[in-house]
This record gives sequence, structure tokens and C-alpha cells, in this order.
Amino acid sequence: MPVYRQNVLFEVARGIKAFLNFEAGLTRGLVPGEGDGPSLAEARRRLEDKNRQIAQLEEKLREGRSGAAVGDLKPENVVWMFGTARVGSTWLGSMMDEPTDHTMWHEPLVGALFGGFYYGRGAHRGGKHGILGGPDDKRSRAIRAFVLASAHEKFPEVKGDGYLVVKEPNGSNGAPLLAQALPESRMIFLVRDPRDVVSSNLSGKSEGGWTAEAFKRGRRKGTPPPTDPQTIVRKGAKKYLEFVGRSKEAFDAHKGPKILVRYEELRADTLATMKRIYSELGMKVDEDEVVRAVEKHSWDNIPEEKKGEGKFYRKATPGGWNEDLTPDQVKMVEEITAPLLEEFYPEKQTSQTGV
Amino acid sequence: MPLFKSRVAFQLARNARAFLYLDTGIVRGDAPPTLEVMEETQARLREQIQEARRALANRDHRISGLEKELGGYTVGAGNIAWIFGTVRTGSTWLASMMRDGHNHAMWNEPRVGELFGTFYESTAHRRDNENFVMGTHRKLVWLKSVRNFVLDSASARFPRFARDGLLVIKEPSGSIGAPILMEALPESAMVLLVRDPRDIVASALDAAREGSWAYELRGTRRREKQGLVGTAGAPIDDFTGKSQDEVVRDQASMYLRYVGNSRKAFDAHDGRKVLVRYEDLLANSLGTMKRIYSELEVEVDEEDLARIVKEHSWENIPEDEKGKGKFYRKGASGAWREDLTPDQAKVVEEITAPLLRELYPDETA
Repeated sequence: MPVYRQNVLFEVARGIKAFLNFEAGLTRGLVPGEGDGPSLAEARRRLEDKNRQIAQLEEKLREGRSGAAVGDLKPENVVWMFGTARVGSTWLGSMMDEPTDHTMWHEPLVGALFGGFYYGRGAHRGGKHGILGGPDDKRSRAIRAFVLASAHEKFPEVKGDGYLVVKEPNGSNGAPLLAQALPESRMIFLVRDPRDVVSSNLSGKSEGGWTAEAFKRGRRKGTPPPTDPQTIVRKGAKKYLEFVGRSKEAFDAHKGPKILVRYEELRADTLATMKRIYSELGMKVDEDEVVRAVEKHSWDNIPEEKKGEGKFYRKATPGGWNEDLTPDQVKMVEEITAPLLEEFYPEKQTSQTGV
Repeated sequence: MPLFKSRVAFQLARNARAFLYLDTGIVRGDAPPTLEVMEETQARLREQIQEARRALANRDHRISGLEKELGGYTVGAGNIAWIFGTVRTGSTWLASMMRDGHNHAMWNEPRVGELFGTFYESTAHRRDNENFVMGTHRKLVWLKSVRNFVLDSASARFPRFARDGLLVIKEPSGSIGAPILMEALPESAMVLLVRDPRDIVASALDAAREGSWAYELRGTRRREKQGLVGTAGAPIDDFTGKSQDEVVRDQASMYLRYVGNSRKAFDAHDGRKVLVRYEDLLANSLGTMKRIYSELEVEVDEEDLARIVKEHSWENIPEDEKGKGKFYRKGASGAWREDLTPDQAKVVEEITAPLLRELYPDETA
């Protein structure tokens, strides 16, 4: 309650008033003038949202449908892109975003949400009580509803014959769960020589690199990456093993349309590789649009100032690791990623055999 | 235009603030509103907020009804009562008593709060990204997905759940996600179960010893077998390689995060809720249980409840399951005075100070 209040207002000239408002006091709760504006706006926004939700549910009830809303997005038209970071997924995703009715969802990290828990934090909690434990079909049903509802809400325009390409390199640790939840979906497994991946990673995180700079300038938040080159290399190789390993697990088990794409092939003959992707995945696409997309996103069309050492677009040269990594670093990557290197790059298996 | 404008407010005591407001200047036309006018506006605003909240609760009720009518879920949001707080607060005891009620069931630590909560906290730097699945601008959208995910999972887990039943979800280890879950399922009820953090840390120290129940059964030993010990995101029961002081510090920090987030969820929740102190539950179990059900608006048979409380009493736990290094350790409050060194107690008090002051004002050193 106010202890002292004084409000004075007087005219000093025609149309001009001087005023003095003075108030002092004690209060329990809000100080006068402290508004609840944002919470009212928030409550109103929620009310509108809930009204929409009720309308949708009532419509479903009238139509005799059930389950969570997934809209008109066809689960078979979801195209996952798994692998890991620095494999050229932004490039491939950008090309696949171009054709009419093809849309790319850029790194929702839904795979990281479920994969990080299932294979990491919650791995010890796989029993019947665990939220992702118990029978596969129950887990998959819940994940499926989550993914489709999220995709529908984000891209309501994707329906009918439209495709949603979900570029998920940093969510590839959850690839098996996502693929299991949407068995009819399509899958691209994009791989690249782990030594080039780590080399690119090292360049970005080193002093002056695009990742390091983004942290330095506050464009990226969170824990800054390590600065010690050996640590960057070791962590990068381990991430490759985990993320590409999970992608492979998903790829091997997936019964829907799928394709393995090597970055090196995409670089060597982009158009032919793109045609192969669409053909093997059974995706309808206008060939002229593919040609235009390939041309638009070609290396030559990236402005020169955006390319080079330390930049997001660095070399685009397979085998560049030979110049960028020290022999010790190469050995470390080869040892850590050995099972995958052997499988995907048998002819370049170790640096001793030459590249 | 105002020549000088100043508003100062400071806290004098709990809930009591002093303020000083000075606004002076020269204007053409109307003078700016006085504080009296502002207060009136504020009162109107408060009424509008209350009205909006009531309307929201009605909508939530309608949504719950429609979801059930559609037959998609056996467990509706209104059937759920969450137990949040942190580990070693007596949540197993409380949840077991609640499970035994007529038409009641208990979901023992699904960790759905950890699934969403830990991910959400660890991706704070991504939240402004419009593509991020849990981005700020899409919050209402993903809250709906979280809601469906919980109801879907609960219905799959409890396919023959009674229409008017109560599903108690014991989620101490998932309390980090309490704000998300309560916001996604506002019709659900919430129990915030707390205990003196010093007793919790004392209990954790006992569990951290090799050969204890947690080491052998719950955490470290099992994770060792799975080759998971020491990996990123290791659970709180993974005590491998930690000194006593590290365990004390880690557990106190965890208390601050878990109970802190539970507290946030509790304060923001407009629905049915009750704050329970372990110490009260221990001192008067039946009375506290009655209070819980009363505040959660759940009808229970008093005779049944008395029988359940008795069945789960400390005296009814077999002697060989109780004691040092066991899951049922002391069943006492304030034992930290014997178990912690003065330095350890000080560390816990410093780290958990805001919650200790609020939840245990009489026990604050």
C-alpha cells in the first residue's frame, strides 16, 4: 500500500502542462506499474492454439478418425538423410530442396533427441518401465507420431505427392529409431572418407575457422569446441564412428527405398549421382529441375569470398586430408574409424596403401 | 515529454517490497497516467489473466474429453499424477503407497522428463533456430507432440487402464523435464516431493560406496557390464572414479537443478498440485497422504488408505533389506548430522542455498 502519493498537474502555457507524479510505499506482490502483459498475451495465444486443437479433434471425431494429427504428409514421402556432419549434406540437401513439391527440413535434430537418450543417457533404462524401453513396436508408434506431427506442423504445405527431405547429419545417432518408426520412409546414407571429414572439422574449429569464429562472435552458443588439434581430431573420429555407425545400422535394417551415396561420387559426377538417387528412391522429379538444381549449387557458383580454408565451403576436394592432417592425426582417425573405413573405402583403407 | 522518470523497488523481506516512483515533465495534451491509474489498469489485467486461465483450463478439459472420446488413448492427461523432485526423497515409498489405491497404477521412472528435459537444456544454443524440433517459436507445436508422445506411451504401457483411474508417474530422475511435461499436460496433477538436501547427499554418499545397492544394482555395476561407464551423459548413479567430495558436489548441484526445475513447474502449474516434504510424510504418513489426495482432488477410501500406509511403513520392510548400503537405509530425517562432515554439509548448504532457504527455512544454518 502507498505511504505517500502526490500527483500535480498544471498548465504552464496554452496546451502545455507540467506534471509531477510521486509515490512511495510498501507492497506485497507487484509494484504498481509492473505489468503482467506478456503472460496475458501468452495466455491468449495459448487459448487460440487450444481452440484450433479442439476444432481439429472435433473434426476428427466427426470423420471417425483417431490418433494424433499427422496431416496429409505421406510417411513414405519422408526422405531421411543420415551420415554425419561435414559429408556434404548441406550441398545435397540444398539441391534436393529445389524441385517443385520437394522440401528440405534442415537439421531438426529429432534423431539426436531420441538417439542421445536411447543409446546414451537412457541406455541403462531399456526395461519395460523406460520411456523408450520395452517392445520395439510400442516405442516406434510413439516416435512415429512425434515425428509426423512435428513435420506436419512445421510443413503443412507438404502433402499429396510432395516429399520432405529431412537432412539430419547431426541427428544420425538416432537413425535406427527413426527408420524403425517410419519403415516405409526413404533413406539416403551419405558417407565421406573419415579423414576428410575430420580434416574439415579441424579446419572449422581451429583458430579463425568458421565454427571457432561463430562461437567467438556469439553467433553460436553453448560449450565452445576444444582448441587442441589432437582433441578435435580424436573427438571428430569418435563422432564419425558413432554417427556413421548408427546410420549404417539403420541403412542395413531398413526395408524401404534406400541408397548409399559417397560424397566423392557426388563430387565426381553430380548430375549422374543425383539422377541415381531419385531413381533408386523411386522419387518423381522433373529432370530439367534436377539439372538446374545441380548447376545452381555447383562449387563454381559459390562466391569466392565464401570459399577457402577455415570457411564453411572449404575445399570440396576428396583426399585433401593428405595435406591437412599430420601422420599422427591420420593414424588416429584410421584406427578409430577402422571398421567403417574398411567397409566404405577399402581401396583407401590406410594411409600406408596410398591414396 | 517526461524530464525525469525513476522507478525503484527493492525487497525488504519475503513478499514485502518498498518502492519509489517519480515522474515529472512537460507535455502537450494529456499527462502520463498516475500510479493510481496504473494500478487500476493492472487490476483489470489481473482479472483478464484469471479469466484467460479459467478459459484455458476449460479448453484443456474439453481436449482431454475429446482425446478419450476418439479412443486414441486409454490414459488421459487428467488421469496422470506426476511425482517430481529428485532422487532419494522417498519417492519410491510415496509412489508405492499411491499405486496401491483402488484403480491406481504406477509407472516407475520412465524418465520421459529426462528424455525431453536434458535434451532441451543441452540445446539452448539451438532454440532460436526455426528448424530445431524444440525451437522457441514452435513451442506450442512441440508441446503438443510431447503431450501425444506421453499419452501414446502411457496408453501402450497401460492398455487396460480404468477410465477413472489414477496413473502415478514416479519421475524423480526425470525432474529436469518437469516444466516441459507440466506445460504439455496441464490437466495432470503434480506432487512436488522434497527432502532436506543434506539428507539426500548423505544417502547418495552411502549409495556411492562399492558394494552398495546403487553400485551393484542400479547404476555402476550394470553400466560397467554394458561398457557404458564414463560415457557422456552418464546417469547420476554412476559414481565411478569419483571422490567423496565430488559426489557431494555433484549431488548437491543435481538437487539444485532437479528440485529447482520441479519448483518452477510447480509454481507455473495452475492445476491440481501439492508440495510434500519427506519429513512430513515420515512424521505423519496417514495425515500427509490424506492431504495429498485431498489437494489432488482424488477420492480414496480412508480405511483402504490407512491399511496401505501401514503395509508400506518402515516397520514392515524386512530387516535384511534395511541399513547401511541398502536401498532402505535409515528412514530418518536429519541424520545428515551424523553422516556428513561439517565441510561437506557446508558445501551442500552453499550450493542448494536458494532452495534450502525456501523449503527448509527453519533448518537453514
